[in-house]
Amino acid sequence: MAGVARKTKAKPSRPKRTKRAPPKKPGKTRRTTGATRRPSTRGSGGTRRKPAPTAPGSRGGQPPGGGAGSSAKLRIRMFRVGFGDFFLLTVPTPKGDRFILIDCGVHHTDLGSMRDAVAQMARDCGSQLALVIMTHRHADHISGFGTCRDVFAQFTVEQVWMSWLEQTSNPNAMAYQASLTTAAARMGQALAVRLAAKDDDDTRQLLAMAENITGGLDATGRSTGNQAALDVLHGGFKNKPQYCFFRAGDIPTLPPDLAAAGLTAEILGPPADPQLIKQMQNKTQQYLDANHATDQPVKSKDPFPAVFRAREEDYPKSAFKFYDARRMTQLIDAVQPDVLAAQARAADNTLNNQSLMVHFTFGGKKLLFVGDAQWGNWENFLYGGAYGPGRTALTERARTILGQLDFYKVGHHGSANATPKSAVSAMREGSAAMCSTQTGSYSGVPRLPLLEALSKTMHGQVARSDQVAVDGTAAEKTAGPLPSQFQSQGGKLFVDYQL
Amino acid sequence: MARQKRSAPSKAAKTGGGGGASRLAAASSVDELFVNALIPRPSERPLKIYAFDPSVGRFLGNCMMAKVRYESLDPGPVGTNFAVIDYDGTAKTFYAPVDLNSPDVMIGGGLDPSQSDPRFHQQMVYAVAMETLQRFELALGRRVRWRGVQRTSGGEYAIPRGAAQRLTLFPHAMREANAFYSPEAHGILFGYFQASQINPGRNLPGQTVFTCLSHDIIAHETTHAVLDGIREYFTEPTNIDVPAFHEAFADLAALFSHFSHKEALLDTLQKTGGELFRFHLQPEARVAPGEKVMLQDQIDQPNPLIELALQFGEASGARAGLRNALGTPPDPDDIKHKTEPHERGSILVAAVFDAYFTIYNRRTAKLFRIYRAGGGRDVPTDLPAPLADQLAAVASCIAEEFFTICARAIDYSPPLDITFGDFLRALLTSHLDLHPIDPDGVRDALMQAFRLRGIVAEGAEYFSEESLCWPKVNDSLPRVEGLAFGDPNGLTLDEKNENGDVLRAYAKKNAAALGFDSTVAPIAAASFHPMFHVGQDGSLYVSMVVELVQTVSVSLSDSDEDEADASSSLPLRSGVTLLIAQDPPENGVRPAPRVRFVIPKHRSAERTARMRSYYARTGRLLRGRDSRDHESRFQIDFSLLHAEI
Repeated sequence: MAGVARKTKAKPSRPKRTKRAPPKKPGKTRRTTGATRRPSTRGSGGTRRKPAPTAPGSRGGQPPGGGAGSSAKLRIRMFRVGFGDFFLLTVPTPKGDRFILIDCGVHHTDLGSMRDAVAQMARDCGSQLALVIMTHRHADHISGFGTCRDVFAQFTVEQVWMSWLEQTSNPNAMAYQASLTTAAARMGQALAVRLAAKDDDDTRQLLAMAENITGGLDATGRSTGNQAALDVLHGGFKNKPQYCFFRAGDIPTLPPDLAAAGLTAEILGPPADPQLIKQMQNKTQQYLDANHATDQPVKSKDPFPAVFRAREEDYPKSAFKFYDARRMTQLIDAVQPDVLAAQARAADNTLNNQSLMVHFTFGGKKLLFVGDAQWGNWENFLYGGAYGPGRTALTERARTILGQLDFYKVGHHGSANATPKSAVSAMREGSAAMCSTQTGSYSGVPRLPLLEALSKTMHGQVARSDQVAVDGTAAEKTAGPLPSQFQSQGGKLFVDYQL
Repeated sequence: MARQKRSAPSKAAKTGGGGGASRLAAASSVDELFVNALIPRPSERPLKIYAFDPSVGRFLGNCMMAKVRYESLDPGPVGTNFAVIDYDGTAKTFYAPVDLNSPDVMIGGGLDPSQSDPRFHQQMVYAVAMETLQRFELALGRRVRWRGVQRTSGGEYAIPRGAAQRLTLFPHAMREANAFYSPEAHGILFGYFQASQINPGRNLPGQTVFTCLSHDIIAHETTHAVLDGIREYFTEPTNIDVPAFHEAFADLAALFSHFSHKEALLDTLQKTGGELFRFHLQPEARVAPGEKVMLQDQIDQPNPLIELALQFGEASGARAGLRNALGTPPDPDDIKHKTEPHERGSILVAAVFDAYFTIYNRRTAKLFRIYRAGGGRDVPTDLPAPLADQLAAVASCIAEEFFTICARAIDYSPPLDITFGDFLRALLTSHLDLHPIDPDGVRDALMQAFRLRGIVAEGAEYFSEESLCWPKVNDSLPRVEGLAFGDPNGLTLDEKNENGDVLRAYAKKNAAALGFDSTVAPIAAASFHPMFHVGQDGSLYVSMVVELVQTVSVSLSDSDEDEADASSSLPLRSGVTLLIAQDPPENGVRPAPRVRFVIPKHRSAERTARMRSYYARTGRLLRGRDSRDHESRFQIDFSLLHAEI
């Protein structure tokens, strides 16, 4: 009951835009909040210790500085799953440790460690999560919810955060997401046809982009992978959590125990553009229509009857004065645009720009989780709109936030267009970063100059998920050793950082 | 420069007419001097076209006669400025070319409009492209050349010598809902596609839609090519406004061409009661309040004058034209959030059209007052024909004035890295030069319209006309000795070579004053065009627009430890546009040419950051596998730009 009271009390302070899905039945909500009480009694016994003996082998070496005196320290655990994000935050509260899960997915270069990682996470938190954050609906951020739905079915979750574009009660948002998925599914099919005809890296990468949106297709060409994961997020937990949908500028109300521990949060993205959905929907409509015309094998009839066909000899000599006929036809054949590729990339960016950007403050420490936010999303936060003539300076707020940062989750697996240089240079010197990445997935990911720039700003405190091994895959040699400020249990499965 | 050099010989042949001189010599007596059996060479060739596109149907004025400059044409048509080659890259076949010089075709003013005959398509593409080109030539006061130098150093796409004279048009290049100007193919490719099965608009579901039958699309793409020919570096998307500017400018040209067709204007005037800017036309037959629409004549139609590419938009399921000139109410925040080139470009288009309609209202107010004084109703439901005629004349006259200042504003823009604010300053300055007396407040209308949409000019200190116009240069800058202006038909090869040397020498000598650092790289004279116009005061103004550009290579990332291969550098350019005036002789001596304006785009940390940021946003920082990719990735790819419309 206390939880409910707190909720109503906090309500007026929140900005109008912050929406929660209204609880279906008041009775259920009460039960939900009731459920949140349980971990407090169970968890206080030492959630951090308890799972230790059950962990297979590697759990023994608790980092010396971390465990003992640091009841006030927050721990970030990054799991290595391949090309995907999977983070668990442990927040010490007066009632014991509470847990926040940020994304759980892998897509390209799946190392097969997802199940191990989820099992480890379940032990870590005793299947009790105060908060689940889904940054955006790409397979590499949510697939784990689908593949491990049996594990998540045993979880109690207090709150789930998603972007406003995921609000099930917003028919426009839902229609938009559905059309984007359909478009991606069609692009995927077309790209698969192309790949079968000619195997090349570019096509493979584009196909991966399309599949990242759908999460893979079943035999009938219906998108299943991501839907399964979304189904879990929207109702596959043991209890019915409270759902919150945010956009830039919102100040969420955290679950009571986290709030009591002094954790606060602010949403920096995605931007709240009322026109956004409409514009994007128009685009998607065009992807759909254009796709008929691009890579589908041409079955429809020719535009003109055969009588109009001609040969180059039917043209006067003057027509080929500058370019001969062969060269001209070659040119036309060569400059046919690769619309499909542009669409696949655009769709990929669109989804990344839906990413929820969350800024946490805990015990004076500031943490920034940006999902896969790319330029559109960042620009809004950094410059208050599109970076362009007359708008090239960081806003005061962006400078403050970045200048006081203690921890940064590197966006989009360290790709070139996901962490602007201006953001890196504005970050506080000596802060730390974690980058969940995997070489050989996308060209230019992770982008080494970016990681080097981060490392320079952060005095070397940048960890990569591929600096630890998982069953069947060794640590990536080119990634170098794990910096000493981070901890890993026997160099396997996950990396920890405490602050 | 190279572009200039190559274009030398074409003109005399074109404008010379028949060889009358020799025949005159044969005249035996003075009386016969005035007798001539030659048929005068026609100045125009009439050709039938769609004023909008086939979907508009029997809308009055949709089937119209375009008048294009007369020239002898080979089948294709293949002429001096354009060659239409109908090669289909999807079906891998040529289609039969139309012979516009055949008497059977000529007698009817070309083939009748038809969707099923590719030869009509060729005729329409040729006619509209010519029309657009001529409009630019008229506005600029000079002949326009196509891009004559390759943009990337790879030899594969080199433009052959002389090809700068002629652009190739491919009316059915591919099966795709797309049409684009391709600098690589040195031509414009039009696609065709199947209309949406679900939502085909006024088309038949699944019918073939030809982009080459849309007046707007042809005019739009031709404008891209014209702009690329005039300005060498406008295809380098160095900031978010550059691609948007390209789109906006092409849309402006396409929209203003609507206002030059009197038939279409008259019909729209009737259906809007003289208010040309209305979104919707009044239906032919009135619908009583509460009554349902029963007849086709009762359906209200969008105003075709302010919509672009109706059929294309409808066929792809958008239910309306691609864009319209006054789509959304002005919002100064749009400029912050609209980043997609077409959306962002439409802010600029809306600003210019806001000013256009403001002036239309100002200049027609008196006509309406006279109409009312004569007993007319407040909002005319049935416009008297003479009034409609007058209104149409005013509308097309203002359209011409606006088109001219827009086209001329290109000459008043910095040579690269243009922003919307630069364009505003260029518009105002070009208008001030052409129409110093401005009783209807055109400049003020433009300023206010741009301000309403949040477009501000960088570096302008006040929101006032004098502050927004480019500042004039004072006497401290030396005169440009030895510059040759030729005559309005162009420069000779010698004059061009001479001018190139003069300008490079001038730039080197005055590098510091012009804002260059002459030690880092040579300063190139990218182009120079003489311009002639008769001012409002009746005197002839002779001037020359010159682009000076300096290019240095900078690292892609701002950290030095980046990979040191070639692809991690990008060309960083700075430059100035000079407007140089040739004043009339004084005391029998022609003074040396005087620099009036220096329109700068200098190197600055902010510009570099802006460029890097734009490249990051658009994914250009990621290197492709293609070796050609290195330089071409820093160019606008029109094919993909339009595919995403």
